[in-house]
Amino acid sequence: MAQWSMGGIVDRRRFLNWFLGTTAGAFLFTVFYPISRYLVPPKVQESTSRTVTLALKPADVKSNTGQIFRFGSQPAILVRTPAGELKAFTAVCTHLACIVQYRNDLNHIWCACHNGHFDLNGQNISGPPPRPLEQYVVNVRGDQIVVSKGA
Amino acid sequence: MNLDGFSRLAGLVLLIVSLSPSYLAAQQKPDNCVGCHTALGDERLAEPAKHFAEDIHAAKGFGCVSCHGGDASDAEMSAMSPAKGYIGKPKGTKIVEVCGRCHSNASFMRQYNPALRVDQVTEYYSSVHGRRLKESGDPKVAICSSCHRTHSIRPPSDPRSSVHPLKVADLCGSCHAEAKIMAQYKIPTDQLEKYKKSVHWTLLSVKGDLSSPTCNDCHGNHGATPPGISWVGNVCGQCHVVNAELFEKSRHAKVFVQMGMPGCASCHDNHQIFETSDEMLGLGEQAVCIRCHSAEDRGGKSAAAMRTMIDSLRKEYDKAHSILLKAEHSGMEVSQAQFELNEAKTALVKARAAIHAFSVVVVKKEVDPGLQISAKAYTRGLKALEELGFRRRWLVVSMAIILALVGAIVVKIRRMERKEQ
Repeated sequence: MAQWSMGGIVDRRRFLNWFLGTTAGAFLFTVFYPISRYLVPPKVQESTSRTVTLALKPADVKSNTGQIFRFGSQPAILVRTPAGELKAFTAVCTHLACIVQYRNDLNHIWCACHNGHFDLNGQNISGPPPRPLEQYVVNVRGDQIVVSKGA
Repeated sequence: MNLDGFSRLAGLVLLIVSLSPSYLAAQQKPDNCVGCHTALGDERLAEPAKHFAEDIHAAKGFGCVSCHGGDASDAEMSAMSPAKGYIGKPKGTKIVEVCGRCHSNASFMRQYNPALRVDQVTEYYSSVHGRRLKESGDPKVAICSSCHRTHSIRPPSDPRSSVHPLKVADLCGSCHAEAKIMAQYKIPTDQLEKYKKSVHWTLLSVKGDLSSPTCNDCHGNHGATPPGISWVGNVCGQCHVVNAELFEKSRHAKVFVQMGMPGCASCHDNHQIFETSDEMLGLGEQAVCIRCHSAEDRGGKSAAAMRTMIDSLRKEYDKAHSILLKAEHSGMEVSQAQFELNEAKTALVKARAAIHAFSVVVVKKEVDPGLQISAKAYTRGLKALEELGFRRRWLVVSMAIILALVGAIVVKIRRMERKEQ
C-alpha cells in the first residue's frame, strides 16, 4: 500500500513538474504573442475617424476631377477645382445617402440617384438634397494629402 | 492731397449721397397723410398708417401718395382731391394696375431690386384668379393685396411676410379651405388639410427645409392654375428629375394621358403626398399597382417581380449592415466592409427610383450589383464575428491554463514547504 502510495506521489510530482514546465511555456507564449502581433503591422488599415492621409500625391489629382476615398467607414470625395484648389467633402448625399460623384462637364458635384447638385463649396444648388455636403479640411504636406474633419 | 483736391472729392461724395433714393426720400416734405390719419383718433383710419411703417415700400422711401395719389405736403382735405391725382382706396383691377405701374416697369424696378421679375401682372391675368377678375369682374378672387397684404408688405424671404414659404399654405387655405367662399366655385376645400398630412409639409414645417414645395411651387404664384393632366410630371419633375425622366420614357406615360390620369398624382396623390415606401409597389394591400393591375396580368406580374427584387436587396443590405454593426460594436475592425456597403445602399436608392421605368430589366440592372456588394459585406461581417468567437474561445483556454498554473504553483510551494519541515 505504502509502495503504491510512494509510487503515486512520485508520479504526481513528475506530472506537476511537467505541468509547471509546459504551462510556464504557454504563459510566456501568451505574453510574447501579442507583443509580436503588435510589432507586425496589421493587414487592415487603422481606423481613421478624424484624419486620413490619402494614398495619392497632389500632382496625381488633375484639375476638374474628383475621386472617392475612404474616410473611416464612410465615403468622401476629393475634388481638384478648375481653379486648381483641392477640396474635400463627405460623399454621402444629404437627400437619401447615395454616394455623390464629380461631374467635369458641370464643374460640380452630382448625385445620380435623384439628380442632386452641389457646388464646389458643398452647397446644395439644385434637386432634392435639403442640406449642403459637410466640407473637410485639406492640407498638402509635401507629397501627401491629409484630409481632416473640422473642429 | 491738396485742399482743392479734397474739396472736389467732398463735393463728389455729397453729390452721390444727395442722388441716392433714401436721401431723396428723406428730403421729401413731411407726410401729412400719416400725421392726420394717426391723429384723428379713428382706429380704422389709423391702422393703415401704422402698418405702413413696417412695409418694404416705406423702407425704400415710398409714401401713401405713391399708391393712393394726392398731395402729402398739403395738410388740408384738398390733399385728397382728384385734381391732385388722389384715387382713394383702389379695388379689383385698379389694385393690379396700381401695383403694376411700378412692378411691371423693368427700368424702374432695377433701381430697387434688379433681380425681381416684372411679369407678375401678365402672369396674374393668366391665372384662374386674374381671368375671373378680368372676364367677370368677380370681386371675391385673389388680387395682389389678398396675398401680400395692403400696408405691411414684406419680401417673401422675411419670416414675418404673409408670403413666406411657411405661411403660403395657410394663406391660400384662408380662402380655399373655406367651404362658404368656395361653394360658388364648386371646388373642393380639403386641399389644405390633405397637404398638411403630406411629406412636403413635414419637411417644410418640421425639418425647416424651405425648398420643400408649398402651394405656389406646383400651382404657380401670380399665375396660379391647377396643373394640367399632361404636365403634372413636369411640375413634380422640377425636383424629382430622375423619376420624372424615367416615367416620361415608360409605357405608363402615354397610357395615363389616354386614360385621363394625372402622371405622378395617380399613384402618389396630389396634395396628400405621403413618404414613399416599398409597400406601394407590387400587389399587396398598400400597393398602388393593384388599382389597375391584377396578379394575372403582365403588369401585375412585373410589379410583383420588381417588389421581390427590391425586398431582397433591402433584406440583404439590412442583413449585411446589421452584422457589420454588430462586429464593429464588438470591437472588430470592419470599416472597409462598411465603406463598400455604402455602394449597396446607393444601389437600393437607385433601384427604388428605377421603378418609375416600370421595367423589370431596368430595376434588375440596379439590384444585381447591390446584391453582390451586400453578400460580400455580409461574408466579411461573418468572418469578423468568427474571428471574434475564435479569440473568445482561446481566451477561455488561456485563462484555464493560467488558473491551472496558479493552482499548480500553490501546490508546488506547499510541497516544498512540507519538504523543508
